[in-house]
Amino acid sequence: MKRRALLAGLLVTASFLTGCGGGPPADAPAAPSGGSTSTAPAAGSKGTIGLSVLTLTNPFFKVIADSMTEEARKHGYDVAVVSGEFDVAKQQNQVKDFIVRKVSAIVLTPCDSKAIGPAIQEANEAGIPVFTADIACLAPGAKVVTHVATDNYGGGKEAATAMIEALGNEGGKIAILDFPVVESCILRVKGFKEVIAKHNTDHPSGKIEIVSQLNAGGAKDQGNKVTEDVLQAHGDLAGIFAINDPSALGARAALEKAGKADQVKIIGFDGQPEGKQAIRDGKIYADPIQFPDKIGVQTVEAILKHFAGEETPKEVLIPTALYRKADGEKDTTL
Amino acid sequence: MQKPKQHGYFRRFMADYGIVLALVLLCVYFSAVTYTEQQPTGAAGGAQLAAEIARQTPAGARMLIAVRGSRDDAAFADALGAGLEASGRTVVETVKGEPVDARRALERVTQAGGRLDVIACSQAAGKWSVFDNLATRFPALASVQVRVPRGYRGSNFLKADNLLNVANQIAVIAIVAIGMTLVIITGGIDLSVGSLIALSAVVSTLLIQKYAGAEQAGSGGMLLASLGGVALCGVVGLFSGAMVTLFRIPAFIVTLAMMLVASGLAFMIAQGQSIYQVPDSFIWLGRGADLGMPRAVWLMLGLYVLAHFLMMRTQPGRYVYAVGSNPEAARLSGIPTGRTLLWVYALSGALAGLGGIVMASQLKSGSPTYGQMYELYVIAAVVVGGTSLAGGEGRVFGTLIGAFIIAVIQNGMNLTGVESYTQKVILGLVILGAVMLDMLKRRGWRLGGQAK
Repeated sequence: MKRRALLAGLLVTASFLTGCGGGPPADAPAAPSGGSTSTAPAAGSKGTIGLSVLTLTNPFFKVIADSMTEEARKHGYDVAVVSGEFDVAKQQNQVKDFIVRKVSAIVLTPCDSKAIGPAIQEANEAGIPVFTADIACLAPGAKVVTHVATDNYGGGKEAATAMIEALGNEGGKIAILDFPVVESCILRVKGFKEVIAKHNTDHPSGKIEIVSQLNAGGAKDQGNKVTEDVLQAHGDLAGIFAINDPSALGARAALEKAGKADQVKIIGFDGQPEGKQAIRDGKIYADPIQFPDKIGVQTVEAILKHFAGEETPKEVLIPTALYRKADGEKDTTL
Repeated sequence: MQKPKQHGYFRRFMADYGIVLALVLLCVYFSAVTYTEQQPTGAAGGAQLAAEIARQTPAGARMLIAVRGSRDDAAFADALGAGLEASGRTVVETVKGEPVDARRALERVTQAGGRLDVIACSQAAGKWSVFDNLATRFPALASVQVRVPRGYRGSNFLKADNLLNVANQIAVIAIVAIGMTLVIITGGIDLSVGSLIALSAVVSTLLIQKYAGAEQAGSGGMLLASLGGVALCGVVGLFSGAMVTLFRIPAFIVTLAMMLVASGLAFMIAQGQSIYQVPDSFIWLGRGADLGMPRAVWLMLGLYVLAHFLMMRTQPGRYVYAVGSNPEAARLSGIPTGRTLLWVYALSGALAGLGGIVMASQLKSGSPTYGQMYELYVIAAVVVGGTSLAGGEGRVFGTLIGAFIIAVIQNGMNLTGVESYTQKVILGLVILGAVMLDMLKRRGWRLGGQAK
C-alpha cells in the first residue's frame, strides 16, 4: 500500500511538472527546444533574440517587447522575453541564461545603467552582440552595438513649441515640473529651455518667463502637491511643462482644485493612454508622444543590419511627435 | 502492511532529505526539455569541421574562416585553420569578430580578384545574414558554400557550464539562507535580510570609494571595507535579536521594522544612486573561479559544511534546536536561550551582509535596490528544504537543496523561454508542490491527520 501511494505521489509530481512544461510552447512559441535549429544556416529559424526589459508592469515596455517580437518574427528570429522587474541581479542571471542558451543577440533595457556592466561584459566575452533600448548602459568597458531610444532632447524642443503655441502672443509665467535624477527627463528640460530662450530673444514683447522649476518625481501625487505650492507663489501662472503624463495629470488636479484650470495651459510628455484622453478632453494642451513600438522595430532593424555586416550607428534616436486635441478626437484607440 | 526495509542508511537519508527527490525530478525534467541541437565548439569543433571540409573539397580549395570574437570561437578558428592548412587547403582570411568584419573581408577578397570555395564558420557565425544571397551581392562568390560543424544532440541544462551557472546564481540566496535556517529553527523569522543585502553592498562599496582609494583600492582596503559591511549587518542582526529577547517583541515585527530601517539607510547612504567607483579586481569573489568552480560557489559550500558541523556536532548548535522546540523547557534546563537567540540573529544579519558583498562583487557596484524580495526567496528555500516554521526542526543541507530547487526552476524556465509572468506562477506552484510532496512523505503518504 505504501508503495502504491508513493507511486501516486510521483505521478502527481510528474503530471505537475509536465503541466508546467506544456505551458511554454503555448505562451512563448519562441522556445528553441526541439529540432528547429539546423546545421544549415539558411533553413528554419535564424535564431533567438533574448530580451530582458526593466519591467512588464509598465505598458511602455510591454509595447517595446510586443513590437520587437512581431518584427523579429517577420525576419525569421524568435524573441524570448523576460523582465528584470527593477532587480539588476535578476537581470544579470537572465543574461547568463541567455548566454547558456546561445541566443544570437541580447537586447536589454537595463535595470541599472551602471550595474548591468558586468553582465554585458560576459555577453561580450561570449561573442554575443548586445543592444539596448530606451535606457542606455553607462558602464565603462561594456560594449553595446546600438542604443535605440526616444529623442528626449528633440521632444523637449517640441514641448516648448507647443507651449509657445498655447500661450500665443502674450507669453506669461510658466513652471517646469521636472525629475532630475533621470537622464531622459534632464534632456527634455534642456531642449525645452533652449527653445523658450530663443523665443524670448526673438519676441521681446511676448516673453515666456520660467518662474519655477521643481522636482515632481514624475508622479501624480507629487505633481499635484508641487503645483499647489507654485500657485501659492505665482497666482498669475500661465503654463506648466511636466516631464511626463503622471506629473502633468497631478498638476491638472491641483489647477482644478484652485479653480485655475482655464488660466493655466499644461504641456505633458509620453502619450500614455491616460494622458492622451486628457488631451482629447482638453485637460492637457498637448504632449510630445513617444513611440515604443518604433523603438522595438528599430532595435530589430539594428540587429538585422548588424548580422548583415552593415555599419550600425552607436545610437538611434526616435523623434517624438506633438499630439494635440484634434489628434485625440481622431484617435480610435481611446 | 509495511515491510521493514534493509536499506537503513538510504532510508534515513531519504527521511532527512526527501526533498532531494523533487530536485532530481526537476533536473531530469529540464534535462529532457532542453535536449536540443548542440554545436561542437572550441578546438575540437574546429578540428572536426576541418576534417569534414577536407573530405569534401579538393586540395588547394580556398577558404574563408569566420567566427565571433569570443575566446571559444577563437580556439575553434585556430584549430580549423591549422587543420585546413595541414590538409593542403588555402585559408585566404580568418575573421574573428563581427559580421561587419566578415563583409569587409569578403570585399577585400573580391576586390583582389580572389576566388573562394568555402566559408567555414562556427555555428553562430554561420547564421549571419551577411552570408545570405552572396550571389547577388558578390557575383564572383556565387558558388561559395557556407559550412558549419555538424551538430549533435545534447541537453542545454546538463552542460557543466550551465550547472555551475545555476550554482553561481543561487550562491547569494543560499548563503543568506544559512542564517535564516537557524533563525527559523529557533522559531523566529528574519524579514530584514533582503534590505541588509542592499545595506552591506552600499556600505562596503562606499567605504571603498571614499576611504580605500576608489578605483585604485588595494585588496587589503577592499577586504576591510567588505568586513565593515558584514559587521554592520551583524550589528543590525544583533539589535533585532536584542529586541526579540529583551522586549519579547515578535521577531516578525522586529525584523519587519529593521527591513524598512535598513532599506531606508541604504538609500540614504547611497543617495539613491548605484556606487560603481570600485577597482576591476573587486569582481574577484563574484566572477572569479578556482579549479573550474566559481569562488562564490566555493564560499557557499564551505559555509554550508561549517554550518552543518556547527548544528550537528557542537553544543551551541544543539541549543538552537532546543530553544526552537520548547523555549521554556530549554530555559529550565539551563540553556542560555537569550544568548542563543542573540548570536543566531547576529549571524543571520552578518550572512546577509556577506551575501550583499557577493552580489556587489558580481555586479561590480553597490545599489540600494539590491535584494528586494530576497527575504521571500530565502524563506522559500528554507521551508522547501524541510525546516519547520514552527521551529525546532530543520537541516542546513536541506536548505541548500531547497535553494537549488528554486535556482533550477528559474534557470530551466529561462532556458526553455517561459515568459516572466508565467515563471512567477510556476515557481509559486512548484514551491507549494515540493513542500506538499515532503509533507506527504513524512506522513507515510496519507492525507489529513496530524503533522509530524
